[in-house]
Amino acid sequence: MNLTLLGINHRTAPVEVREKMNIPADHLTEAVSDLVHRAGIREGMILSTCNRVEVTTSAEDEVDAESIIRRFLADHHHCDLGQFAHFFYRLRQQDVVKHLFRVASSLDSMILGEPQILGQLKQAYATARSAGAMNGTLNDVVNQTLAVAKRVRRETALGTAAVSVSYAAVELAKKIFGGLQGKTIFVVGAGKMSELAAKHLLSSGASNILVSNRTYERAVELAAAFHGTAVPFENLYEHLSHADIVISSTGSPRPIINKNQVEKLLSVRKNRPIFFVDIAVPRDVDPSVNELDNVFVYDIDDLGHVVEANKKQREHEAVWAEQIIQEEVQKTLKRLASREVVPTIVALEDRLNTIRATEMERYQGRLAGMTPEQRQAVDALTRGMMNKILHGPITELKSGAGEPENAALVRLIHKIFGLGS
Amino acid sequence: MHDACLWTALAFYALGILLIVPSVVQRRPSLSPASLGALGIGLAAHAAALAIEAARIHRLPVTDVRSALSFYAFMVTLAFFFVYLRYRIVSLGLFMLPLVFLLTLISVLRPVGSFDSSAFRGGWLLVHISSIFLGYTALFLTFVAAIMYLIQERELKSKAPRGFYYRLPSLKVCEEIYYRSLVLGLPFLSVGILTGFVWASRTWKGPWEFDPKILASMVTWVIYLVLFATRVSGGWHGRRAAYFAIFGFLAILVTFVGISVLSGQHGYIPKLREMP
Repeated sequence: MNLTLLGINHRTAPVEVREKMNIPADHLTEAVSDLVHRAGIREGMILSTCNRVEVTTSAEDEVDAESIIRRFLADHHHCDLGQFAHFFYRLRQQDVVKHLFRVASSLDSMILGEPQILGQLKQAYATARSAGAMNGTLNDVVNQTLAVAKRVRRETALGTAAVSVSYAAVELAKKIFGGLQGKTIFVVGAGKMSELAAKHLLSSGASNILVSNRTYERAVELAAAFHGTAVPFENLYEHLSHADIVISSTGSPRPIINKNQVEKLLSVRKNRPIFFVDIAVPRDVDPSVNELDNVFVYDIDDLGHVVEANKKQREHEAVWAEQIIQEEVQKTLKRLASREVVPTIVALEDRLNTIRATEMERYQGRLAGMTPEQRQAVDALTRGMMNKILHGPITELKSGAGEPENAALVRLIHKIFGLGS
Repeated sequence: MHDACLWTALAFYALGILLIVPSVVQRRPSLSPASLGALGIGLAAHAAALAIEAARIHRLPVTDVRSALSFYAFMVTLAFFFVYLRYRIVSLGLFMLPLVFLLTLISVLRPVGSFDSSAFRGGWLLVHISSIFLGYTALFLTFVAAIMYLIQERELKSKAPRGFYYRLPSLKVCEEIYYRSLVLGLPFLSVGILTGFVWASRTWKGPWEFDPKILASMVTWVIYLVLFATRVSGGWHGRRAAYFAIFGFLAILVTFVGISVLSGQHGYIPKLREMP
């Protein structure tokens, strides 16, 4: 096993360097193919996103893959890599495995737990495969990486809590209403932020949207964009009772929605819950409205606090995720290592079998007088001796798999049994 | 044999509950096979214990406090499985199952009731008891859903999400469980109480109408009727209804546990033997 990873990411390199090193998707197949055709490289994968460029290879033993990758990048970008050298990190062997696991599980992402990276990695893997650059150890490692990322997603809540204000509004709405199917959104005062929140709510299943604005034309415009209904600002209060979620962002200097009005709304609505998302500063919804049963008022700061709490939550979940990764790295290394001793075990068995066959052949004449039963007994005897002799070395090889001392053991066994190189 | 089964059930319930804790802490989307397995084995052992007891006394094993509690614990576990399979709420286990453990523990520790009352025979009484137990089970679920609603509502009102915000279902789901279990529990409670009256008026001597347990169950019934009526008419959502549901279940507790000790006719006291 000779795994090497050379890369830069959002932590080690500024955007100017990342964009310079970026390998666009339409050049990727060609680039991977170039990489694996270099002498000594068996497999390769290139992950190139806006936050990272990473080249991973599996090379023949004793090959200095790092220099090959550096040369490959320099050739590809037609530049001298020397000036960028300090932005790169180089990982070897088990660190490569761990790094890939962490990247795929989004523990290395700028926004912890963001889901895109897994898709990007899948894409990089597919490209490498189609370029014929995946057929051994690295292929196994990347396959395992995808499985580990899924496990992290399944067993932790790393990617679940919303970490942007508009998604936090959606998340809160879901905590109140369950699903958003059949819910009506009322956007009061059209602005960038309320537009974004409304968009997220609609894509999460909310069905109807009403829009009201002091300038009616703007309301009509926005309503048309969302296939909703524009409501004249004067008729605001009449339509408010239809709304389950009110997103408010008018420029009014004082609250436009107060406790009395909402109490009336509640009696019309037979106490079905209302969720006010008040993005306006100064606020549109009087804070005392939140005291009412079945009414939830979140202003921009409240949403900010939810986002903060969610980020902490993700960091908390990341601890579980790291544990899973640690465990999976150990398992994977063990498996890769035990695969490495397989050739030695096979060679050893072959060697002893050959000896046995040769000796049986040599004594063919002298054994001729034996009955079939006796012949079977001799056969069983020699086979039994062979297995007893093999038992010790094979157990040692397997139990030491993955340990650094095992290489010496492998060499020793090769030497004393004359197994060739 | 009965005791061995019940002890086994108790042990596996404890194990199952302990295994739920990490799933809740780590916010797993579903319970681990280990905890479901442990609870499943507990339930099976519990069923065996009840069957053995039923075979011994030749009727539904609810003839004394010990067996009644055991039977109720069994029903609640069963209800947990149903709700879990439908809603996949991991934290629900921590709200429902500690009661199961407690009730099973009490019934394991109490000595076996030795009386064999002919009063526990007969169709009316069987309908009465099984309806009451089904009703109590469903209304316990209403109670749990109301508590979960109140906690989640507080998290949302406080605007500073803490642990429960992430681990409890949405208000909508809490209300749904609440309402469905109420709709299921109320008819059973009604049938149970009515058959109880019929049976009492036929069997008991004296002024049964003023038996404390009967009065208490009337009060309980009225609470749940009001809850149901206000809900159907559309007025009561949210916090107020949740408080009322908790109040209702406290009334059940008073009826079931408290008055059993005071009641002359009722309750699981050997006085039943004196009856005709």
